[in-house]
Amino acid sequence: MISQHTDSTGTYASVHFKSRAHDKLNDAKVQRAMRNFNLAAARSRAVAEVDNFEDLRTAAAAIRDRSLADLDVWLERFEREATRRGTKVHWAETHDDINRIVIEIAKAASVRKVIKSKSMVSEESHLNAALEGAGMQVVETDLGEYIIQLAGETPSHIIAPAIHKTRDDVADLFHEHHKTPRKQSISELTMEARKFLREHFLSADMGISGSNFLIAETGSTFIVTNEGNGRMTTTMPRVHVAITGIEKVVPTLEDVSALMRVLARSATGQSISNYISVNTGPKQPGDADGPEEMHVIIVDAGRSQLIGSDMQEALRCIRCGACMNHCPVYQNIGGHAYGWVYPGPIGSVLTPNYIGLQNALDLPNAATLCNQCGVVCPVRIPLPDLMRKLREKQVDRGLRPKSERFALKMWAWAAARPGIYSLFTRIAARVGKSMGGSGGLIHKLPGGGAGWTQDRDMPAPGGKTFRELYANRPSKGGGGR
Amino acid sequence: MSLERSVERPLRQPRTGRLRSIMLTPYRGTLPEMKVGLFVTCLVDLMRPRIGFAALELLESAGCEVIVPGTQTCCGQPGYNSGDRAAAQALARKVLREFDACDYVVVPSGSCSGMIKAHYPELLADDPADKAALDRLTGKTYELTDFLVNVVKLDKVPGRFSGTVTYHDSCSGLREMGVKRQPRELLAKVPGLQLKEMTTPEYCCGFGGTFSVKFGDISARIAERKCEDIAGTGADAVVLGDLGCMLNIQGRLRRLGNTTTRVLHVAEVLAGVKDD
Amino acid sequence: MSSREAILSRIRKARGVAAEPTGAEQARIEAHLRARPISTRPSLEWNPLERFREQCVRMSSTVDGVATMSEVPAAVARYLSSAKLPMQAVAWPGIAALDWSASGVAVEGRPAGGDDLVGITGVHLAIAETGTLMFLSSPTTYAATSLLPETHIAVVPVGVIVPAMEEAWDRTRRETGDLPRAVNFVSGPSRTADIEGQLQIGAHGPFRVHVIVVGA
Repeated sequence: MISQHTDSTGTYASVHFKSRAHDKLNDAKVQRAMRNFNLAAARSRAVAEVDNFEDLRTAAAAIRDRSLADLDVWLERFEREATRRGTKVHWAETHDDINRIVIEIAKAASVRKVIKSKSMVSEESHLNAALEGAGMQVVETDLGEYIIQLAGETPSHIIAPAIHKTRDDVADLFHEHHKTPRKQSISELTMEARKFLREHFLSADMGISGSNFLIAETGSTFIVTNEGNGRMTTTMPRVHVAITGIEKVVPTLEDVSALMRVLARSATGQSISNYISVNTGPKQPGDADGPEEMHVIIVDAGRSQLIGSDMQEALRCIRCGACMNHCPVYQNIGGHAYGWVYPGPIGSVLTPNYIGLQNALDLPNAATLCNQCGVVCPVRIPLPDLMRKLREKQVDRGLRPKSERFALKMWAWAAARPGIYSLFTRIAARVGKSMGGSGGLIHKLPGGGAGWTQDRDMPAPGGKTFRELYANRPSKGGGGR
Repeated sequence: MSLERSVERPLRQPRTGRLRSIMLTPYRGTLPEMKVGLFVTCLVDLMRPRIGFAALELLESAGCEVIVPGTQTCCGQPGYNSGDRAAAQALARKVLREFDACDYVVVPSGSCSGMIKAHYPELLADDPADKAALDRLTGKTYELTDFLVNVVKLDKVPGRFSGTVTYHDSCSGLREMGVKRQPRELLAKVPGLQLKEMTTPEYCCGFGGTFSVKFGDISARIAERKCEDIAGTGADAVVLGDLGCMLNIQGRLRRLGNTTTRVLHVAEVLAGVKDD
Repeated sequence: MSSREAILSRIRKARGVAAEPTGAEQARIEAHLRARPISTRPSLEWNPLERFREQCVRMSSTVDGVATMSEVPAAVARYLSSAKLPMQAVAWPGIAALDWSASGVAVEGRPAGGDDLVGITGVHLAIAETGTLMFLSSPTTYAATSLLPETHIAVVPVGVIVPAMEEAWDRTRRETGDLPRAVNFVSGPSRTADIEGQLQIGAHGPFRVHVIVVGA
């Protein structure tokens, strides 16, 4: 299928990370929007309010690991409990399976209008396009998702999907699509969206949501939002479908309570999100509201191959977005440069695993390994280590460019031979010094170094290596050299 | 029985081929003898030897007996971070051998010391033969300022500085080696120096090793945010503990037309800034 | 093979375990489900009532307190008139059954529709740690009442305030057995920061959450 993630030849957009990132760096609007974005400060305040956040992270990681260690058994328990309560559980091996299952459910229930609360898994499968292709109207209800749906774009952040847009962009979109006078302020825009989306909530036949967690103990979905659209989606329409990955199952309500403490703080710097909906089955006899049908679609689509591998820790992810909020690369290029569903550090790990190493070669390399992501991750995913392992896999499978492999081999060969290394560095120190001229700055490096000097100077070496100078240093006091 | 070891204790001479072997500086102090191996790092060796000498001077002024193994080259990090595990392992084993005879290994870099302490155990995990030497090495490896504050408890520093500086926390030093308070404590001992903090001193400068050349435009843009933060402090110099960050920040500052803000390694400032 | 079997067997293969779950695996899971251990928590050494009130305010709710249920209608009237809101509301039947005659507020005991402006509910429990209201769905505790109206007023008897979410689950299990269709947690009014990261109150749910604590 052609989508914003692939072109007409089926090539993934993530293949073009480098040029996409370059475009974003030179897109004044994106740059302005990214400068407005600072969830890192909010997180740091929220974390400081509890006395043991590091312990909470450790405990949260342990809870996630418990789920993953016996994943299939927990999933079966979830299925058993959910089924007992009247939820229909479906299993999707692929993205196409997700779309097929949703369309089947929708057709059987004569659905014409679908409202969606946020679901990143449905972004993986391009569900909206599939539903529209099947003749249904689909309306995203998370404000950010709604904005990008109007713009015909994909989310650039997993919890703030339209963070790359300015209020002017949104004002233009609403003016065009709502056919209303152009609004100026963010509050007017938010109110306008509320008004339009409220009508959709009340008239939709089906609500589609993600599920932050699945509770094995009770067979419940667990949906977290701040806007209240998750509650709307699971309360108002007559059919509710929750779509989520196999890895999202959590054993007990106590376990999910602990995860919630780290999730909201890490995501938006709140002690808790405004709305949590725990849904267990369809409307009961006599209930005044709630859906008549409840479905849960449990999705594999590449996840199971991470189990038992050196990438398993990535499945702990609870989708808070803290890694991207703290990533110096993400903060400067935004989410679209990454080219697939999940941007930032977790995306650089998940994308190559889900769509193929060769389809996202740049992603694990496009990181300074500063580990700001690793230290904020609420479930202690060692993101830089995982990116480094992916780099190793690229080398092992011969996926790196020849020039790079050659340069690395040369460096490794010389660095293991101190005599030759010393000679090379003596030459480099002298050549570098002369290149730097009187100012001591090299303005243009040749070959692979050109990437450095495109936007930066390279301070020149002094002409002699430490090794040389040390060998010739005057002896101090007495004694040996 | 003396608690101090004999000064005359024979040193093991690593095999160094035709290269100059271990070079000793005289033991002068009254502290218990500490045989400290200085890991100069490849970037200091090539780009800024004066940082290596500054580190040497600081260690000596603290009464350490400093050894500079002449065969040292690189800790292996470029290979490790580029996915070339075999090359990194070979260099890690080389470092293991070169510093085995030292009581401590001190590195004027958070990044290279972090490579040894935080990453060698994973890198060499498959080879149990290295285990004992590895444990010795990781246990005795220190980032320079951490060593000066927490091991030798340096009291006075030789340097003087007239003006305001701001300190950039390099990522590996901060997050792998716990270096945060140590350089600031030492800088506070430098007569004439005033420290003014950035808004986000812990924010990455964008260097990232080979990242800086593979994704030069992103790297430089990240550096620009750092440069803005530095400029905001009005400091005369930005001081830091890693040469990678230093080249990156200095390179971006100069390209942006800032010719006045000095970019200095903390060892230089502590030992007394000298020009090459 | 169905998708279900394919996925489950792939996971088992990846885990390097036998095709069918063993007794030991089932026992491990049962043990955890029986014990339901409470994970590491922050220190909860505060007075629950004080903490609840303080955290409600922090989540942008407003808080009032009355001694008995019979004072609730007057407190609602006081709030609505001081906030210049309409003196009419929909409410859960239990709340509508209070004596509203002297309050000047017209209260109807029916589910909220899209045009109702004020909804009054009770709560199942309330969580001190985060200033959170907990609702269980049932034929008489309509979910929409706390969701659709622009103003939501919640009546919270002091006895339903529990320290944290774990205590709320524990008490719910003991009192109601199986979870009802919907358990909803609400912590303050609806909000979004999806445009330029700027906080806006009242995205889809209520703009105002007013909490009346009874019996403090």
